[in-house]
Amino acid sequence: MKITSLFLLFFTTVAFTVHAQKNEYQSLNISDSLTENANAVVRLNQIDIVISSQRSMNIKTKRVVTVLNEKGINAIDAIESYDKRRTVKAIEAIIYDALGNEIKKIKRKDFKDQSASGGSTIFSDGRYIYMEYTPTQYPFTVVYESEIETSNTAFIPTWSILSDFYVSIEKSVLNVNFPATLGFKKKEFNFSNFKIKKDTDTATQLSYSVATVLAQKFEDFTPVSKVFPKVMMGLESFNLEGVDGTAKNWKEYGKWFSENILMGTAILNEETKVKIKSLVGIETDPIKKARIVYQYMQEKSRYVSVQVGIGGFKPMLASDVDRLGYGDCKALSNYTRALLDVVGVPSYYTELFGDQDIRNIEADFFSIQGNHVILCVPNGEDTVFLECTSQDDPFGYQANFTDDRDVVVMKPEGGEIIHTKTYHNKDNAQISKGNYAIDANGNFSGKITIVSEGSQYARKAAIENMQPTAKEAHYKGYWSTINNLKIEKTTFSNDKEKVRFTENGIINAINYGTISGSKMMFAINAFNQFTGSVKRIRNRKNPFEIQRGFIDTDEIEVALPAGFAVEFIPSDFESTTKFGEYKSEIVKKDGATLIYKRTLFIKKGVYSNKEYDEYRLFMEQISKIDNAKIILTKNQ
Amino acid sequence: MMHLNKWFLGFVFLISFVNLNSQNLELGKVSVAELQEKMHSIDTSAVAAVLSNKAKTSFKYNEKSGFSIHTEFQIRIKIYKKEGLSWANFEVPYYVGYENSIDDSVRFSDAVTYNLENGVVVKTKLNSEGSFMTNANKYWNVASITLPNVKVGSVIEFRYILKSDNIVKFPHFNFQYEIPVNYAEYGTEIPGFFVYKAIVNGFLQAKTEQRVSSGTLHYANKNDFTRSDSVNFKQLISTYSASNIPALKYEPYVDNLENYRFSIQHELEKTQFYQEQVKDYATTWEGVAKTIFENKDFGKELEQGVYFLDDLKIILKKEESTTVTELEKLLIIFKFVQQKMNWNKENSYYTDKGVKEAYANKIGNSAEINFILINMLKIAGINANPVLVSTKDHGIPVYPNHTVFNYVIAAANIGGKQILLDATSKFTAPDVLPLNALNWRGRLIRKDGTSDEINLVPEIPSKKNYTLLIAVDANGKIDGKFRVQNTNSEALIFREKFSGVNKESYLEKLENDLNGIEISDHAIENENMDLSKPVTEIFTFATTNHCEIIAGKMFINPMLFFALSKNPFVRENRQMPLYFGYARQNKYNISVEIPAGYVVESLPKVMRISTAGKEATFNINTLNVGNKIQFVISEEINGAIFYAEFYGELKEFYQKIIEKQNEKIVLKRI
Repeated sequence: MKITSLFLLFFTTVAFTVHAQKNEYQSLNISDSLTENANAVVRLNQIDIVISSQRSMNIKTKRVVTVLNEKGINAIDAIESYDKRRTVKAIEAIIYDALGNEIKKIKRKDFKDQSASGGSTIFSDGRYIYMEYTPTQYPFTVVYESEIETSNTAFIPTWSILSDFYVSIEKSVLNVNFPATLGFKKKEFNFSNFKIKKDTDTATQLSYSVATVLAQKFEDFTPVSKVFPKVMMGLESFNLEGVDGTAKNWKEYGKWFSENILMGTAILNEETKVKIKSLVGIETDPIKKARIVYQYMQEKSRYVSVQVGIGGFKPMLASDVDRLGYGDCKALSNYTRALLDVVGVPSYYTELFGDQDIRNIEADFFSIQGNHVILCVPNGEDTVFLECTSQDDPFGYQANFTDDRDVVVMKPEGGEIIHTKTYHNKDNAQISKGNYAIDANGNFSGKITIVSEGSQYARKAAIENMQPTAKEAHYKGYWSTINNLKIEKTTFSNDKEKVRFTENGIINAINYGTISGSKMMFAINAFNQFTGSVKRIRNRKNPFEIQRGFIDTDEIEVALPAGFAVEFIPSDFESTTKFGEYKSEIVKKDGATLIYKRTLFIKKGVYSNKEYDEYRLFMEQISKIDNAKIILTKNQ
Repeated sequence: MMHLNKWFLGFVFLISFVNLNSQNLELGKVSVAELQEKMHSIDTSAVAAVLSNKAKTSFKYNEKSGFSIHTEFQIRIKIYKKEGLSWANFEVPYYVGYENSIDDSVRFSDAVTYNLENGVVVKTKLNSEGSFMTNANKYWNVASITLPNVKVGSVIEFRYILKSDNIVKFPHFNFQYEIPVNYAEYGTEIPGFFVYKAIVNGFLQAKTEQRVSSGTLHYANKNDFTRSDSVNFKQLISTYSASNIPALKYEPYVDNLENYRFSIQHELEKTQFYQEQVKDYATTWEGVAKTIFENKDFGKELEQGVYFLDDLKIILKKEESTTVTELEKLLIIFKFVQQKMNWNKENSYYTDKGVKEAYANKIGNSAEINFILINMLKIAGINANPVLVSTKDHGIPVYPNHTVFNYVIAAANIGGKQILLDATSKFTAPDVLPLNALNWRGRLIRKDGTSDEINLVPEIPSKKNYTLLIAVDANGKIDGKFRVQNTNSEALIFREKFSGVNKESYLEKLENDLNGIEISDHAIENENMDLSKPVTEIFTFATTNHCEIIAGKMFINPMLFFALSKNPFVRENRQMPLYFGYARQNKYNISVEIPAGYVVESLPKVMRISTAGKEATFNINTLNVGNKIQFVISEEINGAIFYAEFYGELKEFYQKIIEKQNEKIVLKRI
């Protein structure tokens, strides 16, 4: 027995050595074009998906990555998630040196295992298995292989060719096999700038391949979802966390979802029904009723994320939310729906991509999409969407997270794609009105009122509840051009009805004006200088996007110190470009008072790579003019 | 694991049945006043407050597994604001990674939310649906609860018991949280055969009461399971309490906020069982050194030498001439180990797989890599020893015990001078340690049990020497040449940052950081040829953002993009020491050529500013000859750590230099 096993061991070792050198994984023969701007080169990324039935999908991944330096380690991406319905059947990796000699084999037992709980998720039954490897040399090559078996055919992974910046692709292959009966479909995105070959496209098979995709440099404001190529896939007959489903389009999906997932989740007890009815009282207007209900829900509940099994997809029962006072986005939206139902206001569970980056549910392509849930309340021809995870948001407020995108609304008669509220350029306003005085020593004392609306509201409303030190830090950052800033007093008013946040501040600062000899100099725009900068990017390749426009207007009265005469005043300035408009002017009110007026208006839009420099120069000019100085001379 | 064994035989006759002195810590008595409270009476900005936090650690005994400690916590929290609702989720991580001991365990109980509804106190109990156990990874589990029905105004409370067979350390008890604590109390009941050292951390004082009483431990009778035996002994009962503890808040230039959290920890010092000798765990640095050295993953691993002999011969062969000094040998060996070995990011002073395996795999933890270094240095005839270190993340090693350290480096003695070495990073050099290791003092330990305190803070300041040659044209455009030489820790930081970075993206970021200059001809000298020598960055630049033309005059800040605009110190006063990590000197040699047709109207005045003890200094010298202006500016921070008393002076110093640094060159037309 002992001898046999020893022999076997010896035998395998020999076999190993013979096969250990893999010439194709040498790092030395990678072309220069692939290493340019790359921290890692994906030599091969082959994904083979076999859907054998509505309840069975097998995904095999083979990923060969040559890591050029320590910043390229993430490109190995040797990680798989698993849970009750998703098993990792096999996972392993082999590391090769630059010459293609095997240096290490990492078996399944050497992979690390970790819970998916953490962060805002207090509990999840999901887990991860991942490779941890300390490189001993660069470059090296990892051959990673995994096999996943799952019954969740509702989630066919999206084929994303470029996973990250600074990573090039030598070859990427996708093969999908499926029964003709399940209604397989796909949608291709952003193929135009890439030479992607569709090798097969039949009733049971789909395959693509692409070779030599160069590494992309990160460029600010790149709309990744409009640039990087991908293929989304879905089945008309699928299984979602143990539940079979059939849907050809969003309309059918909405109906199925309502009947199979939402059905029976929105029942409340009599006590709660009585309470909510009495709160609403004699109010008849559906939107006014909804406001009352929304406020009740906001005060009663808090966001807690617990994800178990289909709970990752199906909302917790409304009665449980009512009893426990917490839930995730699904649970809280559905609970609000149940409450509204009691007072006769129809509302609909709505799936979408919640992110500051605007991303649509694909209207003409049904598959399970989205990462967030909100609630849709029809308002005549219009709709109001409620974010139910926030205890602070005004009724119907959506900016910066769920605004301006296509979402799928689950109506019982069928799903419907609706575009959410757009915060148009001029809706996102900041209006500053105030005054300041400079004394003979250059000391500054000022008073200001700043009103913020639209998408600018959200950025400001949080200030009110900040801790004193955070609040101070915010203002020292906001007024970073006022050295020695001292905040005497701040007061706030938050008009949630009109979605308007008002800050009132009294501030002062010593030595704002710089005195040299008999002259004093200071920047007239004290309260709202554009200090951000737009990076110079060498040979920009990608388009850039301004997702939300805004308008800032300022009107500030400036009291000059007695005993000084104005020697120099910056001239008025106006500039209009395709990106927006900027205007600044100074009006002499009387001998000792100036009025400074400024407007900065930036439009939303997608612009080509060629237009970027023009945008950069526009913003740079604004920054300079915002910092223009006034010079005073002391009367002799 | 620790057994009663012999001890038990001696005391068996003492068996009696005395009631355990169980304390009545009241949960469940939430008052209407507490529920009505709208804001915290002292800290009105508090989002929530711990109304009371009581815990008690006591011992249990089990025939099979020996002693264990049980710590019972009872916590009551008031929620004042929406931002405080997250305090209704509570997590307790506990250790499950012991090799030969039972996992720790945590059990929550009596978790209740109290609300005031129409003047009536309404209780909602937590049931199993709000209680979770997560196996986070191989070493840690997390027990968590999320309380039901929590709103602004709610009071929540819960109890949990943390059980552990690891009696070397009690769980930390925190008097202080990120929210204010109204009352905190920690009690210990320690049987006389254990002696623990209590270490109180932070700036506040706990009220301490101690008394000796008799204690009893019960355990199952070996022969008759229906009976339980018990044993009596003297025990030390201690109570530590404090009221109105302010919230712990972050301040800039703090090494590790945990160092200043008001908390108490207990470390086993010695055991003294009946008819046994006193066993010393760690009371002195000698004791610590001895215990650590005796561990097989330390002392033995430092005796290894054969595994690298061939390699060592090869690397030293080249230098076989008689002139090779000890220092040269050290540099060769250090470079060899640094290049060969790869750190797996694990901090430890014990080896894990052992030096031999680590050497073969070229991968190791901090002990393995630095032990290999020590082994090689010793074989090469250089006196080298391990230095135990606590990394910055791990806290300050104040009292002698073996859990205060978590890391180990090497010290080589050459000509009576200690040179500190850490080969885990690819960019360190002799006497240039990773920043995370620059943490107060380390402890050099030797086989014979002797030990020395080692100052980890570098004696030599790290420098950034800038040389700028700039020319201003008639339109205010500035063209210049930039050169910066980084030494020691500054070199380490630069090399780490620059390594593997995409050069174009690096330059784009650098241009942006330097207020939108345009960079060309960028080059690095000595990027990693000789890590003990400075690294130099050179480039040519142009900018239109650094000269303002107002009313025919030019205003230029001689410090261009280096001028500080914001004081890093905002708060009025401070309790925590100021941590800079290492002493530093920035020197700027700036030569400005002014455009034809212009003359200097005014220049920033020559000035020297410093704190009273010269801890921080700033000098500016100017010289104007013809169309050239020469600036020599220096900034020094002459220390790594300063006491909080120095805060006011330093803040004022920064205020002065900010003003100075924003003074401008004014040029006027001839």
